[in-house]
Amino acid sequence: MRHFGLHAGLWLAVALILLPPLWVLRTSLVPESMAYSTDVFPAFSLENYQSLFGQKRFGTFYLNSIIVALGSVIIALPFAAAMGYAFARFQTGGRFGRFLVLSLQMLPPVALVLPAFAILRSMELTQSLTGLTIVYAALNIPFLAWILMGFFEGIPVDLEWAAMTDGTTAWGAFWRIVLPVSLPGLAAAGVLGFILSWNEFLFALVLTGSKTATIPVALASLQTSNGIQIGKVSAGVVLAILPLIIASRFIQRFIVQGLTFGSVK
Amino acid sequence: MASIELRQVSKIYPGSAAGVKDIDLSVADGEFVIFLGPSGCGKSTLLRSIAGLESITAGDILINGEIVNHVAPRDRNIAVVFQSYALYPHMNVWQNMAFGLRMRGSPAEEIDAKVKEAAELLGLTPLMQRRPSALSGGQRQRVALGRAIVRDPQAFLLDEPLSNLDAQLRAEMRLELVRLHRKLGRTTIHVTHDQVEAMTMGDRIFIMKDGRLIQQGPPLEVYANPADTFVAGFLASPPMNLVSGRLVEVGDGLAFRTDGAMLPIPAAFRAAYAAWAGKPVIFGLRSEDFHAAPNGDSSAPLTLQVEAVEALGPENILIGRLAGAPTQVSARLSRHYSAQPGESVTLYADLTPMHLFTPEDGKAIPRPRAAPALLRRHA
Repeated sequence: MRHFGLHAGLWLAVALILLPPLWVLRTSLVPESMAYSTDVFPAFSLENYQSLFGQKRFGTFYLNSIIVALGSVIIALPFAAAMGYAFARFQTGGRFGRFLVLSLQMLPPVALVLPAFAILRSMELTQSLTGLTIVYAALNIPFLAWILMGFFEGIPVDLEWAAMTDGTTAWGAFWRIVLPVSLPGLAAAGVLGFILSWNEFLFALVLTGSKTATIPVALASLQTSNGIQIGKVSAGVVLAILPLIIASRFIQRFIVQGLTFGSVK
Repeated sequence: MASIELRQVSKIYPGSAAGVKDIDLSVADGEFVIFLGPSGCGKSTLLRSIAGLESITAGDILINGEIVNHVAPRDRNIAVVFQSYALYPHMNVWQNMAFGLRMRGSPAEEIDAKVKEAAELLGLTPLMQRRPSALSGGQRQRVALGRAIVRDPQAFLLDEPLSNLDAQLRAEMRLELVRLHRKLGRTTIHVTHDQVEAMTMGDRIFIMKDGRLIQQGPPLEVYANPADTFVAGFLASPPMNLVSGRLVEVGDGLAFRTDGAMLPIPAAFRAAYAAWAGKPVIFGLRSEDFHAAPNGDSSAPLTLQVEAVEALGPENILIGRLAGAPTQVSARLSRHYSAQPGESVTLYADLTPMHLFTPEDGKAIPRPRAAPALLRRHA
């Protein structure tokens, strides 16, 4: 009986967390006209998705988001790795340097949007995916460097020493030993950076145009003067979180792998 | 093959007491030496400096008579075996062992042949495809050794390579390392804080403390003639008994007097110790120099109030105090002699190997050197 109470409580907690997203999924799969119905599942329809990919050009925005998020991670990761390694192994910049990196994360993004816009305009990169990718990369570098620093600190310096006595240069030890050993960490950092760029709204709103909008901006544009098209918004949300769910599965695996991989002793 | 020489080598870490100061030492070609000291004494720092992994603050490091202060680790042709083994976790055993040769651009057939040879030597052949995470501690230790051997370096630097192994495996690897050294004949520096390794493995030991070299010499020589109370205490278990007291004149001889005991100084040492008559000194005698029965001319009886008995099997160690004295004394006796805690027993101290140390800095007061025990038995 006590078990029953416990389980009921747990199921309640699970429902609290899962019901809203499930309701979004349900709303995305019923016709717009029945979206606000209180029936659990009044009718099945893919019209919301069809509309998004057809008339609303969601395919383009999806592609934009993928290009920007992937591009920013590919640019940011090597810089972040170098930076994190310098912090971890050579104490470059000391505590102040580390604080500086962290302090960038404390700055409200709004403070950076207008300067970024001004800079991109002078380079004629507003309303372009290139411009947004560069800005996202810049935003990602300190964050990823911070994550990778922790990962590099976990790699025993003995490994690099062994490689250096074995005949590599310091650079060779980094390239041949540290990087391969930190692959799970790099992957985890990459996925986190991807999620961050994927979800970013403010910069995307200011720096992109109607053709170069990303998913979050496109979702916001479904809120029209005729009201919120809740069915399409729901379908858009489902589409937007789908890659993140997949990515989270990966990151989980990589982080667990990262923890058990390097055991040297 | 390589000789290694250190001249006035110092390594100072800014804002830290660690490091080494003014180290002078030389290791002959093919010699097996031990750096012995408690953790934090600078022995590993010194080892890394020789390998080129740490830059030194002052002094010169010479390999084969050439100064190598600014030579990169990869150009010193020295192999290091780390305490953590530092195996590359993303490579299998074969790749780990081949890594050094591949970095040096050796031809593939040569690499394969050398790796196979080393694997054979260390019994690693069946494990070649395994990753380090799938190996036991002893196997990892062997791979680390194999990785060093394969490269055929001028010298081996071993940084506490046995300290992560269990006791039985450690004893096996101790013998194996000595056997390997005999077979390969390469200059070897073995860093350890284990006095058994220090006594049994090397041709010479270098004892370090607080970043300084305290004493060097063949193990038995150092054991028989410790330079100070630190060496006397560190190089044996149980450590040498050290008792504070005073050197007094008795008739035409000398004696060491402390609470609960009066020990005559052997005639051979009288001249050396004469200047210390009437002064406070520290008396040192190893636990194995206590006997259950008189043993020669220089035996002196004393009474031990037994507080604990450690029966080790082959021997019994009696721990107690000289009547009323504060200092604890341990006596190593045969398994046939035992006592109960609380009992007072009469033991005979063989004073031939005794030492006196100054109370100020613990340095040994010079006296005619005791011959190492082993040599005396052969004589």
